[in-house]
Amino acid sequence: MLKDFLEGKPLRHPLHPMLVHFPIGLFILSLLLDLGSLAFPSTPSLVREAFYAMLLGIIGALIAAVPGFVDYTDIRDDHPGKRTATAHLTLNLIVVGLYGINLGIRSSTLNALKTPVGPLILSLVGIALLSVSGYLGGRLVYDEGISVGRHKRRTPTPENTLHLTRGENGEADFVPIPEAESLGDRETLRVEIDGQVIAIAKMDGNFYAFQEFCTHRFGPLSEGGFEGFNVQCPWHNSCFDVRTGKVTNGPAKVDLKTFTIETRDGKTGIVLPRERKES
Amino acid sequence: MKWLLDFLKGTRLGHPLHPILVHVPMAMWPGALIFDLLSRWNGNAMVRLSFYVIIFGLVASLLAVPTGVVDWSGIKKEKPAWKIGLYHMILNLVVALLFAINLGLRVHTFRKETIVAGTPLALSIIGTALLIGSAYLGGLMVYDYGISVARMSKKKWRKIAVAGGANLPPE
Repeated sequence: MLKDFLEGKPLRHPLHPMLVHFPIGLFILSLLLDLGSLAFPSTPSLVREAFYAMLLGIIGALIAAVPGFVDYTDIRDDHPGKRTATAHLTLNLIVVGLYGINLGIRSSTLNALKTPVGPLILSLVGIALLSVSGYLGGRLVYDEGISVGRHKRRTPTPENTLHLTRGENGEADFVPIPEAESLGDRETLRVEIDGQVIAIAKMDGNFYAFQEFCTHRFGPLSEGGFEGFNVQCPWHNSCFDVRTGKVTNGPAKVDLKTFTIETRDGKTGIVLPRERKES
Repeated sequence: MKWLLDFLKGTRLGHPLHPILVHVPMAMWPGALIFDLLSRWNGNAMVRLSFYVIIFGLVASLLAVPTGVVDWSGIKKEKPAWKIGLYHMILNLVVALLFAINLGLRVHTFRKETIVAGTPLALSIIGTALLIGSAYLGGLMVYDYGISVARMSKKKWRKIAVAGGANLPPE
């Protein structure tokens, strides 16, 4: 419940990218006021204003950190964007730490007419690191699709990919998936079997398996939402019937590959067509 | 011409440009409102700060306009996101206009005043409220409709999907 709120699900919009406008804008403002104090030392209060802008920026950054951290923990460990997210998080902590020190140094020179060199350098370094970090945060959204369409999903998403194999010769046509048995309704598994990546969903007691990647821009269907028997891609809302893999709503035009889930000897597993070994 | 469009779309940067630029007005104008309110305690320093902040917001918002228009023109007209984009654009124009008027009202008084007067304060409140609404629509375009998402990373994701054995449309 609290997690859903911090992820912005009721708003259909993550909270972290909303809140970060304030620290980013205010830290830049603080630097501009510093530069203003150097250019126009006769203008009163610029140094003091730079201090207040920085203080508000730090408060904003600390508030934004909370949903940011929740967003971070929601990224699958083997997601290609996870490392970028770790770098983003680490850089942000460094930036806030630097601004904390910066603010402390400034508190004794509030009545100066020009911002002293030390705090000014700290601000320049802060903005440089913040720009990199903000850029990485943007890449997480626009390249990796992190938190895009997350509100369409009402159940938890897979924390990891299960790596399975058909055996050394690749001959088994049935691969048991014990984890499927503890799956809740409308939950999914993300499974990789000898390179093939498959999403497995449980709906009304039945299992459905289909390719993980949307056929439009290859969004993650194991993180998709469900409407009836449709899975909806979190990114651009393409819908597919999980029973047949057929496109039920665009922008995707190509159907999904589907797989059969069976119970054999009391074990739930996936049926894979026998591969013809080319020699 | 193509290089200009690519630049405005952020293709060269590997990141759409519009959502980067909007951080400035998005922080500055609500900031102006906060500084307006703080002027009740901190006097002329806050009145001045509010004035500078509105200017900074206006400059950045003008820079953000062409990038936004280019991103919007890439959306097909029959998509729901096109309409949201249209409202987002109209609201933003109204907000920018309100802050421009707001700035005009302050030009002659910000050096001396110790408190922000009623009309500019009211304009800051209305402008901020509309801006939040508009920014929310902009966010919905990204987080609900996926505008600009996987636009530049399409090739990378295709590669991952190919490796994952997916059915794919021809390139």
